[in-house]
Amino acid sequence: MTREELGVLVIEDVLLVRNQIGDLLQHFGFKNVMLCSSVGDARSLLETQAVHLVLSDWHMGPPSGVDFLREIRSNPKWKHLAFIFITAEATRDRVIEALKLGVDDYLIKPLTAEQIQNKVYGVLLKKKLLS
Amino acid sequence: MESRTEKGLTDLQTRFLSEMSVLVKTADEALTEIQSHPEKTSDLLESFAEWMVGIRGTALQLGYTRVSELAELGEEIAVRSAQSDSSRALRRKSIGALWDALTTLRYAISHTEETASSEEQDILLQRLRVTLRALGGAREKVSPDQITDLLAAMRSSQ
Repeated sequence: MTREELGVLVIEDVLLVRNQIGDLLQHFGFKNVMLCSSVGDARSLLETQAVHLVLSDWHMGPPSGVDFLREIRSNPKWKHLAFIFITAEATRDRVIEALKLGVDDYLIKPLTAEQIQNKVYGVLLKKKLLS
Repeated sequence: MESRTEKGLTDLQTRFLSEMSVLVKTADEALTEIQSHPEKTSDLLESFAEWMVGIRGTALQLGYTRVSELAELGEEIAVRSAQSDSSRALRRKSIGALWDALTTLRYAISHTEETASSEEQDILLQRLRVTLRALGGAREKVSPDQITDLLAAMRSSQ
């Protein structure tokens, strides 16, 4: 699948940051970028759109990003989705919690163009989503 | 070129101010409620910390370093104070520090065009760091490289 075809879902409750992340992704060739501000909206999009990668903040809601990760990894329909946290949360206990729940990568804000190139592509290649 | 308001703020700064003002107001309400409901202090401090994370993450993404530093200190003081068995005096001091942090944060969010901090702000930052040290210091954080190592270790153990 190409970058243009991959569905990328961004969950971030702050509009400014949400738009900025969306712009960064589109700059790197991801054309099918869906932006939403809550886990509730994300669930609706997952039901109706082809999503291959979720980029989520942690602190929002409830439900929070980690609640959503837990939900995704326990749902047979969604458990194989690529999931990356983009968050300011960098405390050791929380990061380990996310890793144990099966997050594919964990990016500490600010999200940069370099991180998209290295980390986002890395996850997509690892999960054989990107050709 | 971005247009500037009469005050000299760019469109980005204005939108940042608008969005962050909501979080600051909610954080203010949490601290105010502690005064009337001291039995809820721990929960309210944890809520306060959540708003600080929201401000910090946004400021980090947009490159507003001073705002993110203030928000981080507020977050850590709130979390440590909520979790610790600190004395009433230390807790009162922590809440006082959070009020100072919030006031300065409100100013910093409204003045992102100012790149240098004032002497008063530097003194406040130092006081906040001292308060945080008295509470046991900031929680352990991991760097991006450490996260990469943790991920690799987790994958190799599966």
